[in-house]
Amino acid sequence: MPNELHIKDLRVEVKGQEILKGVNLTIQPGTVHAVMGPNGSGKSTLAYAIAGHPNYVVTGGEVIYKGENILELDPAERSKLGIFLAFQYPVAVPGVTVANFLRAALNAHRAQPNVDPKETAIPMAQFRKQIKAAMQDLSMDDGFARRYLNEGFSGGEKKRLEILQMSMLQPSMAVMDETDSGLDIDALRVVSEGVNRLLNPDMGVLVITHYQRLLNYIKPQFVSVMMEGRIVRSGGPELALELEERGYDWIKEEVVGSLN
Amino acid sequence: MAVLTNGSTSPLGTLGTLSVAQVLEHSQAANEPAWLTEMRGAAWSAFQQMEAPKWRRTRLDELHLETLQLAAHPHAPELLGADKAAEQGAIFVPLRDALTTHADLIGSKMGQGVPPLANRYSALRAALWQNGTFLYVPRNVELEAPLHIRYTLPAGEQAHFPYTLVIVEANARVSLIEEHISVESATATLTGATTELFIGAGAAIRYASIQQQNRTTYHIGGQVITLDRDASGEWVSFGLGGKVQHIEAEARMQGDGSRIEWHGATFATEQQNLVIVPWLRHIGTATESHLDFKTVVADQGYSVFDGMIKIEHDSHATSTRLEEHAIHLTPNSRSDSIPGLMIDTNDVAKAGHASTSGQVDEEQIFYMQARGINPADAKRLIVMGFFETALSAIPHEITREQVAAHIEGRI
Repeated sequence: MPNELHIKDLRVEVKGQEILKGVNLTIQPGTVHAVMGPNGSGKSTLAYAIAGHPNYVVTGGEVIYKGENILELDPAERSKLGIFLAFQYPVAVPGVTVANFLRAALNAHRAQPNVDPKETAIPMAQFRKQIKAAMQDLSMDDGFARRYLNEGFSGGEKKRLEILQMSMLQPSMAVMDETDSGLDIDALRVVSEGVNRLLNPDMGVLVITHYQRLLNYIKPQFVSVMMEGRIVRSGGPELALELEERGYDWIKEEVVGSLN
Repeated sequence: MAVLTNGSTSPLGTLGTLSVAQVLEHSQAANEPAWLTEMRGAAWSAFQQMEAPKWRRTRLDELHLETLQLAAHPHAPELLGADKAAEQGAIFVPLRDALTTHADLIGSKMGQGVPPLANRYSALRAALWQNGTFLYVPRNVELEAPLHIRYTLPAGEQAHFPYTLVIVEANARVSLIEEHISVESATATLTGATTELFIGAGAAIRYASIQQQNRTTYHIGGQVITLDRDASGEWVSFGLGGKVQHIEAEARMQGDGSRIEWHGATFATEQQNLVIVPWLRHIGTATESHLDFKTVVADQGYSVFDGMIKIEHDSHATSTRLEEHAIHLTPNSRSDSIPGLMIDTNDVAKAGHASTSGQVDEEQIFYMQARGINPADAKRLIVMGFFETALSAIPHEITREQVAAHIEGRI
């Protein structure tokens, strides 16, 4: 299948230290794949490496998407290819409104080589209509679009904004990095419903989470466990429930045991 | 043939050959009031005797004052909104015209804000101003639409010294934009602008000062807002154009309970050297000030923010904060930030200053890239966002959009 995300033996260093030590993972379109693991196991590194953060240095492996090794693309090109990272810690940009930012992002996606960007830019009226509808779906009031990007946002507002962006950009491969962190139960429901509404047979979703809680709302078909920079277990949704019940230590012992 | 004032035709030559007697003579020939003739004479005499001020960070070594010719005609500024202002009893006219109708009122204030003899350049401006703007807003008059002054140094002229005098009486309200532009010239040109704004008790002003001159212009200005009891000012200063800018600006919280909210932006690119010296001077009781300056430098641009909080001895319970933040877009650009605090009393409610300097935040760029925006566009968005607080303080939408477009085009 061309639209699967295929991660092959991915090795990534951060500040000279190897964090991912050969990750293999495939995410099929139309599926939700959860990667769970204890703190420090490399889950967020995987998310950043897929998105192309410059501090995450790839030392080996490939990530194939739509026939391209996306590791050779800059982050903006990866986004235009349909990859979307919902940030665990969305970045504040003072003075840039949510609306302006989203319009710039949409126009970047609509731009064509050798065509005047003015011709491909989204008409203002269409943009307004689209953002309004998307905000309503996420129970955001109109004033939200005029606020500065993530500046002074609560945890819930930040995550909602991530989903709003996802809904506007319509990615075919979404990576959700600890989307449940910092959310109370009501915000978690709104955000999850937002994600679920976007699911479609052509979109793959990689959900990165420490806790099983989020998976009650965004239901995965596949669950993988990451530990010390490797995928050490894969299974169905029952694996997440087992982790919820038993924690991570038993897997650790089994992994260490198998190595011995 | 250069003339100093309307009605006078005597040749003046260059600033280097102009005598005090000539200055007096021209003032008299133009039927100026005696106090003005005297002020000009004293200022010119001071100019001739004074040493150049030691502005170490302002590159004035290539400016040869003595060779400059005064503008041949005392050009009136472009004034927008005068008719509407007049309907409500306000006066918004070229200063030279006002001199024939409101000489005493002008005489009671001129030089009270920006002291003519403060330094060689203030003396030069006080001695040789030819025209400018007079704005008088009577008590309780609230002007809805912003007034707009546009000073242009015309083609072929080398120097002009526009003078803006603003008197806002008690409980009146006004918005004012003062814009400086110039045409490109083969040789160096000089704009020496003086602006004095006197804001009466309980009155309010929104004032934008926008310097957008061309790359041959030296802009050496002095601006003072004096705030009476419970008066309030919202001030925004843009330093964008010119070859070299040196503006000494001051918000003077004279009356009890007066306050200023001051935003500013400097954008220095190419070889520009843009210096702003903003002072917050607290004199009254329970006065408040906030100065928030944003600086962006690129290419070989060099900006200086030499800000000062001055809390005078007889003041009480001042509350003040001064901050400046700078972004460097290129490694060869430079910005100096020298925030200072001089407190001559023990009775201060709150006083602080802060300054930061750095490149565009990599995390912000990555966040935008992750949404498909290329790094150059991301930088542009971030820098425009950085200037947003200053831009949004411009009290006129069209001007705001023009300034924003000008900045965006240069990033």
